[in-house]
Amino acid sequence: MKALGSIGKSIKRSEDKRFLTGQGKYVDDINLPNQVYAAFLRSPYAHAIINRIDTSGALGSPGVSLVVTGTDWLKENYGPLPCTSRINTFVGGEKMKVPPRHCLAIDRVRFVGEIVAMVVAETKPSALHAVELIEVDYEELEVVTDPEEALKPGAPQIWDDIPNNLCLDFELGDRIKTAAAFDSAHYIISRKIKNNRVAGVPIEPRGAIANYDDDTKRLTLFNSSQNIHENRDAYAIDVLKIEKEKLHHVAPDIGGGFGVKNGTYPEPPLILHAAKKLCRPVKWVADRSESFLSDTQGRGQVSTVSLALTKEGKFLGLRVETVGNLGAYCGTIGPFTPTAGTARTQGGPYGFASIYYYAKVVFTNTAIMAPYRGAGRPEAAFQLERIIEETARELDFDPIELRKKNLIQAKTLPLRTAMGLDIDSGNFVEVFDQALSLTDRTGFSARASAATRRGKLYGFAIAPYLECTGGGSKEFAGITVRDDNKIELSVGSHSTGTGHETSFAQLLSGYLGIGVDSIVFFQGDTDRTPFGGGHGGSRGMEVGGSAVYEAASTFIKKGRLLAAYILGVENSRLQFSNGVFFVSGTDKSVTSEDLIAQSAGSEVINGEFGYGYLNVSATFEREIMSIPNGCHACEVEVDPETGGINIVNYWAVDDFGTIVNGMLTDGQVMGAVAQGIGQALMEESVYADSGQLMTGSLIDYALPRAFDVPNIRIQYYEEAPTKKNPLGVKGAGEAGCVAAPHVVFNAIADALRNFNIESLDMPLTSEKIWRTIHRR
Amino acid sequence: MTRVSLEVNGKKTSIDIPDNTLLSTFLREHLNLKGTHIGCDTSQCGACVVIVNGKTVKSCTMLALQAAGSRVETVESLCDDGKLHPMQRAFHEYHALQCGFCTPGMLMTAVALAKKGKEIDELSVRTELEGNLCRCTGYQNIVAAILAGAKKMRTQT
Ligand code: FES
Ligand code: FES
Repeated sequence: MKALGSIGKSIKRSEDKRFLTGQGKYVDDINLPNQVYAAFLRSPYAHAIINRIDTSGALGSPGVSLVVTGTDWLKENYGPLPCTSRINTFVGGEKMKVPPRHCLAIDRVRFVGEIVAMVVAETKPSALHAVELIEVDYEELEVVTDPEEALKPGAPQIWDDIPNNLCLDFELGDRIKTAAAFDSAHYIISRKIKNNRVAGVPIEPRGAIANYDDDTKRLTLFNSSQNIHENRDAYAIDVLKIEKEKLHHVAPDIGGGFGVKNGTYPEPPLILHAAKKLCRPVKWVADRSESFLSDTQGRGQVSTVSLALTKEGKFLGLRVETVGNLGAYCGTIGPFTPTAGTARTQGGPYGFASIYYYAKVVFTNTAIMAPYRGAGRPEAAFQLERIIEETARELDFDPIELRKKNLIQAKTLPLRTAMGLDIDSGNFVEVFDQALSLTDRTGFSARASAATRRGKLYGFAIAPYLECTGGGSKEFAGITVRDDNKIELSVGSHSTGTGHETSFAQLLSGYLGIGVDSIVFFQGDTDRTPFGGGHGGSRGMEVGGSAVYEAASTFIKKGRLLAAYILGVENSRLQFSNGVFFVSGTDKSVTSEDLIAQSAGSEVINGEFGYGYLNVSATFEREIMSIPNGCHACEVEVDPETGGINIVNYWAVDDFGTIVNGMLTDGQVMGAVAQGIGQALMEESVYADSGQLMTGSLIDYALPRAFDVPNIRIQYYEEAPTKKNPLGVKGAGEAGCVAAPHVVFNAIADALRNFNIESLDMPLTSEKIWRTIHRR
Repeated sequence: MTRVSLEVNGKKTSIDIPDNTLLSTFLREHLNLKGTHIGCDTSQCGACVVIVNGKTVKSCTMLALQAAGSRVETVESLCDDGKLHPMQRAFHEYHALQCGFCTPGMLMTAVALAKKGKEIDELSVRTELEGNLCRCTGYQNIVAAILAGAKKMRTQT
């Protein structure tokens, strides 16, 4: 099936108008008649035994209709929120340790912000007021927030039956072969490399409204979720123990997700419970402070990274040992990120004969860790590109040459990496060269000396990256022909701002040869799509777009029979191109639009072919992940007086295979790079030794603002579409987060080449830079 | 309860509200103008920016009663009879929004900035956006849209 011209064009977004006029519908914009409000009492301690909870004050408070504690919850026989990490077995074969993650703390709290009780009341203020009236007798326990400390003998034990706070260990690669490579190496460079814990901070906080219909005995949940089908199954089957059909899960417009809204949370089942109990809709929307305490956080790894190389600088082996900070519980797929999530792309686009990755996943008294945009690939890329940069500096290799000489050559593709990734397409050398020429290397010394004259330190870095995308492997797309001649397209994946309404319609329009205007897009409703894989792992276009392709193919196949009937010809004589079914050499033709129009209301056609004949649905299931890659570079200026950093130039060359809508793709790159810059320069979730979150508001947690981020110059390498899906696309949503942190860090390291930067970790705040320069 | 009288998007309103009602809550819950968004509780994000008597205000930091007698403009006022405001059009053209949650605040900040009539460039726009967070776009397209939108606004008046 060949696509029409609209695919590849930067079509403007059809969803924009409602957002621009204030007509978007986010969870907080929904109010249901007769609704009440939930508020949560959250633990002020990071680790404590709950001796007693007295809810009488709250229950007697005006407007309060329900108070629920952990003891009440257990009486209902509800189950814990499940952990579905595919990686779930110790290296030694033992099962991963998954402690029960109930929606309410039962008799002990394990992180600041854990829910201790829920209050439901007539208004939000009355609910919040009543929360203050609950008295809890806590007995404080010792706290551990650092994952390496948590592993040490004598560390506070967060779970009585989980020794050393160790949830899981994991390995990938060939340990023995890697050891042999290290034995034969001329040089071995090792560093301890930290990847800071960060918060996702979508600007729309999480929120939900639950409703119960006593007639149908069905629950409805409007929820700011980027993964409605899997969340529904967990809430219905695992927690509430009802059939999944009894829970209708709807995600309206979502104000950003980045992974934070992907996993399950305790609040939705709690308010579902309340809605059923009270037979009234129950609403809850998080305050930003509540989000900081209770949203999942990302990254948070400490790794020992070692690179073995020959005298000439040829990479021989890579060894990475990581400790991942899981938080107090296993998030929905939390253990996956520091294990396979970080292991898969080790080695990047370089030719390594052997790699060994080993991880320990550890409980601490902190909020739950879960995938955050990139989930493992940014960590892996950072570990690799930092050790390469350090190697170049220590051994006096040119960092550009050292990288280039080790890149996988296009002629060796397809190949399977030492970590088992199948690379079918790409040209890492050409991508590197394209990026290098974009950076205007010849102008560098002039820019650097101008900066020096202004008293600034100037630095440059360039590095390739490689990632893997495709998230949840299976996706649904359905086409329904409506009486008004429009067609509805519904896809199980969900946009969190990523423009699916435009790009999926654009695909369908291209395949069927119908106007984008005649396509009405639906998403985010479990009643409309039988299944869906949510939004994560840059899967929207790769898996969702491919499902649209499959649905369009089925439509054309069935359309051909209908066209043959209408034209009165043998269907084998029909051809389809540019939206027209025709018999070559004759004037017999009918367009897809005609077919839709004729099928919509025609008794004859309905009689002959059955009602809704052109309504089709399809699923796409990818076999293997695609391998986006690219090369980013940047130049920074450091002010030695203040430690302030200015990113002067940032360049990106990305290979995302086929580009469906360049404008949307640019948007993904810009947004993700900004988040990567945020992680490199300012973002960190900081816990005090007491387990108090020190970055609990937007005053303390720094997000990049407009003046922190430069204009990014973006190019694509479009010569290497993947064969792993019919569109040839490789996911674009997370690459910027993978590529940016190490490039920014390495450029700063270059600017600080005359200083000792050994103890520098992200985020590179101006204070840290100033201390480094002034040796304080 | 106190009666507050003010003009919102050209319409005079007079409503009894609890004294501690924030302007943002007043707009969203009492007038059902859901375009003004709430993204934080410390006056940091700017999703709630509206224009009060010609000046941008974070509506989550002001009591509705403090706006008594004022002229308030929200994002809902920009579109004129179904026709997008030049700044809205520029945001659309330049793909300056993804999830759209920060967009109303960005637009109001941008419109107020453009109305000042001062020469603006990339740097000044970036500086003026100090109070507005966007987690999706990386700001690049927002800055470009504001420059283009402001130019359009100048040539149209
Ligand atoms: S809601 Fe964040 S500044 Fe007003
Ligand atoms: S577009 Fe999502 S926060 Fe700005």
